[in-house]
Amino acid sequence: MEYKAPIESYGGTVRELALGKEGHSIQLGGDTILPLHFFDEGSLPNPPKFALEIWDMEPTNWAESVKEPYKEVLNDPVKWAQKCVELGADAVCLRLVSTDPAEKNSSADDAAALAKKVMDAINVPLIVSGSGDETKDVEVLTKVAEACDGGRILMGPALKENYEAIGKAAMDHGHSLIAQSPLDINLLKELNIKLGKFFPLERVVIDPMVSGLGYGMEYGFTITERVKQIGIIHKDAMTQMPILADVSEECWKTKEAKASKEQGLMWEGVTAVSLLLAGANLLILRHPETLKLVKDTLKS
Amino acid sequence: MILIGENIHVISKDISVALKERNTQVIQDLTRQQTEAGVDYIDINLGPARKNPEETMAWIVNTVQEVTHLPLCLDTMNPVAMGAGLKICKNRPLLNSASGKTDSREQMLPLAKEHNTDVVISVITDEGCPPDMESRTESIMETVAYANEMGIPNEDIWVDPIILPVSADQTQVKHDLEFIQNLNDLLPGVKSTVGLSNISNGTPEELRPILNRTLLVMLQRCGLYSAIVDSFDEEMKALVQGKLPNITDLIHRSMDGEDIALDGLSQQERDYAKTAKVLLGDILYSHAWLED
Ligand code: B12
Ligand code: SF4
Repeated sequence: MEYKAPIESYGGTVRELALGKEGHSIQLGGDTILPLHFFDEGSLPNPPKFALEIWDMEPTNWAESVKEPYKEVLNDPVKWAQKCVELGADAVCLRLVSTDPAEKNSSADDAAALAKKVMDAINVPLIVSGSGDETKDVEVLTKVAEACDGGRILMGPALKENYEAIGKAAMDHGHSLIAQSPLDINLLKELNIKLGKFFPLERVVIDPMVSGLGYGMEYGFTITERVKQIGIIHKDAMTQMPILADVSEECWKTKEAKASKEQGLMWEGVTAVSLLLAGANLLILRHPETLKLVKDTLKS
Repeated sequence: MILIGENIHVISKDISVALKERNTQVIQDLTRQQTEAGVDYIDINLGPARKNPEETMAWIVNTVQEVTHLPLCLDTMNPVAMGAGLKICKNRPLLNSASGKTDSREQMLPLAKEHNTDVVISVITDEGCPPDMESRTESIMETVAYANEMGIPNEDIWVDPIILPVSADQTQVKHDLEFIQNLNDLLPGVKSTVGLSNISNGTPEELRPILNRTLLVMLQRCGLYSAIVDSFDEEMKALVQGKLPNITDLIHRSMDGEDIALDGLSQQERDYAKTAKVLLGDILYSHAWLED
């Protein structure tokens, strides 16, 4: 008897989201199939996108192997951002590490001015990531949103503790929002429901807080996979948003990645590819060679 | 539906203080209120009862019995406390609970036999709580067979499928319903019970009752014999007594797979319809499910 592979057809669609200024924008989401299930009915109109990250201060704890490609620009975020674009990044993620009260506690105004300068210097979309301090981030990201008005940046993280203020700032200036929750699909959905009361859900990216290989990646994998399945198969409107896999720091902070360049690339690469398979739409990476490796893997 | 009032529970701060101080008034007030609320059993949950197990249990059983005619459901993991309580019950009590665990077989089940009580037997085994229908069925068949051999007849056994919080494992509700539905084919004559409020453990306090009530209506339809419940939840009692037929009907239709249209429903009906969907696993649980 002849074998006929079954072809599935689901009803759910991930919301489609555009980032960046007109002419230099990228699209995320729009999936109607499970991750890379090209044999099923439906499509992935916008393939996953990759951002490289830059910091607003010179990193102190990075491995030599990952500082190397950026060694001339590490103290100049604008040049660093341009370098990332040259290296093939679809977007640049500016991390406002120095604004953290536990770090340099640098001011919201400085951060906003820097974000604007970086945004204007590159022809790819900008992602701005606060320090994660739930109080300081409100102040910083509000100023950033204002300074970057019209640039359609992706900003966050918005947490259950501060989503109202950060959401309002993003909404007033036309930006998109990273909705972050700590490895729990139920809390993730709750945050989206609450955001949906005042914020357009077509401008939300889900950050389930994935971890690196060997440090609980399987948790992030499961959640990413389930978010995608529940959105596409079960058509749950509250999980139909593009998903972020923020893997750079999670990989490069491990002793395994720091041990050697080759191992570091593998650590970041395997984590990234795994999360692509789970359903991530946007990945933030650190090493340009991982970027190439993962893009090549995806192409083949 | 036999209702077992859960309100005398050591986890409650008032009760644990009253126990420590041997405050007769607090315990007896709560007993009277539960009796007036119309439940069928009074549960006395002492938890592990580590300190003076015999004396503590004897004190509380006597204190409760002075002011109620209802039978008691004694709930403790400590077999010494359990034995001391069963000995002095005036009405035939319910031992809550035994399970397939080795120490439970060796210590709890013999107490049920010795004092000729009804006994709750849960599906738990030495490996924990079995994850699906098949393994739960297998576990309960084994433990009930073991109890039968000891001379405890099916009629005295109340099977507990163990309800887990919906916020931790959403898919298990369907297994529980199926389990209760099949129970009498598997083990003719056995009764059944559940610790109802565990379904909403971890859920924000004000949202717990609707989960408890909706699940109870579902379980009732599947043939559940009894449940351990909050004695003072009037809406729940009205529901199981069939006094809110519109709600019961909505929940039953959801169980039959109907996708209920929310337009035109009252706020209360909507909330129940949404809750039914969450319990049946049709929509993903979140603490904000009523706002979904
Ligand atoms: C992914 C995962 C998680 C994820 C769940 C993500 C989600 N909700 O989608 C996160 C990181 C949130 C998590 C948290 C916790 N987990 Co967990 N988790 C796992 C893991 C690695 C895989 C489960 C899985 O996804 N299987 C595959 C999917 C497809 O199957 P599934 O049926 O959809 O899986 C669901 C259930 O397993 C359930 N679940 C997850 N954790 C727990 C914990 C408990 C107590 C229960 C009842 C259910 C439950 O959520 C999963 C997704 O819906 C297992 C280990 C393993 N290999 O099984 C541990 C495991 C299930 N978790 C465990 C524990 C202890 C916890 C926590 C209680 C930890 C804590 N102290 O906070 C919390 C509970 C959170 C909660 N509200 O459920 C233990 C359970 C031990 C036990 N028998 O009691 C396990 C077995 C790991 C271990 N050995 O320590 N967990
Ligand atoms: S699937 Fe992988 S991680 Fe899970 S038990 Fe098997 S080997 Fe371990």
